[in-house]
Amino acid sequence: MKVKFRIRRFNPEVDKKPYWGEYTLDNVEPTDRVLELLHRVKWEQDGTLTLRRSCAHGVCGSDAVRINGVNKLACKVLVKSLNLKDGGQIQVEPILGLPVVKDLVVDFEPFFDHYRSVMPYFVPATPLPGDGRERRQSPEDRARFDDTTKCILCACCTTSCPSFWASGQYVGPAAIVNAHRFIFDTRDGATQERLNILSEESGVWRCRTIFNCTPACPREIEVTRAIGEVKLAIQRGGR
Amino acid sequence: MATLVTTITETLRYKGKLGQWSWVLHRVTGLGVVLFLILHVIDTSWAAFYPGQYAKAIGEYQSPLFTLGEFALVAAIIYHAMNGLRIVLFDFKPEWWHLQQKAAMIVLGASVVLLVPTFAIMFGHVLHYYDGNPDLVTISDIIQSQAQFLLGFVVIIAAALLLSLAYALITGETGTPARPNRRPSQFDAWMWRFMRLSGLLIVPLVFGHLAMVHLIQGVFDITTSGHSIVGTDAVNSSGKAVEFVGRRWDYLVAGVAIWRIYDGALLALVVVHGFNGLRYVVNDYAHDRVVRRALTLAIAFGAAALIILGFAALLAGVDETAYGIAKEGLESFSKVPTSPFGG
Ligand code: HEM
Ligand code: HEM
Ligand code: SF4
Ligand code: SF4
Ligand code: FES
Repeated sequence: MKVKFRIRRFNPEVDKKPYWGEYTLDNVEPTDRVLELLHRVKWEQDGTLTLRRSCAHGVCGSDAVRINGVNKLACKVLVKSLNLKDGGQIQVEPILGLPVVKDLVVDFEPFFDHYRSVMPYFVPATPLPGDGRERRQSPEDRARFDDTTKCILCACCTTSCPSFWASGQYVGPAAIVNAHRFIFDTRDGATQERLNILSEESGVWRCRTIFNCTPACPREIEVTRAIGEVKLAIQRGGR
Repeated sequence: MATLVTTITETLRYKGKLGQWSWVLHRVTGLGVVLFLILHVIDTSWAAFYPGQYAKAIGEYQSPLFTLGEFALVAAIIYHAMNGLRIVLFDFKPEWWHLQQKAAMIVLGASVVLLVPTFAIMFGHVLHYYDGNPDLVTISDIIQSQAQFLLGFVVIIAAALLLSLAYALITGETGTPARPNRRPSQFDAWMWRFMRLSGLLIVPLVFGHLAMVHLIQGVFDITTSGHSIVGTDAVNSSGKAVEFVGRRWDYLVAGVAIWRIYDGALLALVVVHGFNGLRYVVNDYAHDRVVRRALTLAIAFGAAALIILGFAALLAGVDETAYGIAKEGLESFSKVPTSPFGG
């Protein structure tokens, strides 16, 4: 089938303003992924098109873009899932809320700053056990935060959030998900510190439960639920 | 970070699910009701302090333009209340998140179900009113008398800006902070709880209030002489709005002025809830420190002023001699300037 591409282009060294580039691709298979088609545009039609990807298999989290109005990983979206007619249009633009470096590439530094601010690492609550092996945990305790271990820091969620668009000061869903991972880990000793950080003005209270983040997550993490659990933990005063 | 304009246009462009539109509606309806509330508390205080002026205000409530606004207001309150209950539910049951889409549909459905009979009854009151020979207040009258509020807003915001600029000059803190505000604070955690608790309490209070002035009695019956006064055993003998208010506030059940307590509770909860909502919106969109501090100041000042004014009116009550003054006030309407602001 034939597909029309509409891609948001911006080269800060040349362009005053972003614009839409239009490209037509023939011989598109329903099982093609949008990432492959972006490659075809770059390789066959316009080598200046700039995008980011590494693994191409939904693992590294580097190719989040907005496809037909919704944040997605280009490497995980099959053409057939977009329900296009022959000659239908695929619109691709950078995710919103982070500075555009060029075309579809945005600067992740502010996003990672928020991530780092929530202490996204294990802080042992107890000294290493006498046998020098791992700190043990019951399967139930482990299940408590299983969902939030799956995050690949792709920023699909944070850049779908109207609160984050409105103010980049908001720590954002991805950072909260990664804090949740440790807040609800019984072996961790910094729960209270993380809850204090997330209760700051830029923290969880800026979430208006809009639920854009949950369907945006390519790892199907229950993002808004995790945020809700963190809010309740703060209200309770602990895990 | 996106600018205010892109935030708004992108919210409209992003293909979010229903939750995104629920939020937009929740914010718009909340802001609309706050705007009405500001005018409403000020003009209710006239019943106590400027009875002649109060007759004008209620005259405006009965004008065609406000009748349209009244329908919008009731719709806004009902939607905001239903959606607020949904937010509270999922806040306390985050594990039910997968029902959220359904819940947003139910909120829309419930709002419509509540609105249909409400509008029907309100419309009945409107028809009944226009069947008689109503004294209509013209649009220019309304603009004339509301202009002072606009001026008031401008003055308050300008004063707050000046204060905030002075603060910035002294401390040297201007512009948009590069890093988020990292001041540890329990304030927002506390306000989060308050928004939910106050929302739950406001639901019966505001629905009761609206039932009294829209359904059991229409806005038009407030000035019908000989009409019984809702929630009391009195009759409005002068047919003046101040008598309606005065008799309600003076009505005692076992020695307790129940409607004063009721209005006081509604006043305090709604003003703090609504103005904190305003603060949320300002925190979202105002990034410059000087502007944000100014608006936050204006919000705090505005909330305090409204609560003080409202309670002063409740405590002062309506003087019975005012029932006659109000009559004169209405007759001299648009001839003699009786505005407390000299307008
Ligand atoms: C009728 C019962 C009401 C309920 C159940 C209710 C509930 C809520 C809830 C749960 C929030 C969300 C706060 C958050 O996201 O953290 C909210 C926000 C808000 N409410 Fe209400 N509310 C009610 C009445 C009112 C009234 C009467 C006003 C106006 C005076 C008002 C104005 C606002 C505003 C301006 C916001 C902020 C909206 C935003 O941040 O987008 N609410 N309300
Ligand atoms: C057009 C619709 C409305 C009409 C005609 C109306 C009418 C009145 C009247 C006649 C009073 C005087 C006291 C009394 O009789 O109890 C009053 C007081 C009050 N109303 Fe309303 N009301 C309306 C809508 C609302 C709404 C939507 C709210 C909440 C957001 C509200 C909040 C209040 C408060 C807080 C007071 C007490 C004010 C004070 O004591 O200073 N009203 N209203
Ligand atoms: S649920 Fe909260 S974090 Fe997620 S998109 Fe909505 S406001 Fe943003
Ligand atoms: S929570 Fe999901 S959408 Fe958000 S950064 Fe992690 S993987 Fe991406
Ligand atoms: S390229 Fe690695 S997640 Fe898509």
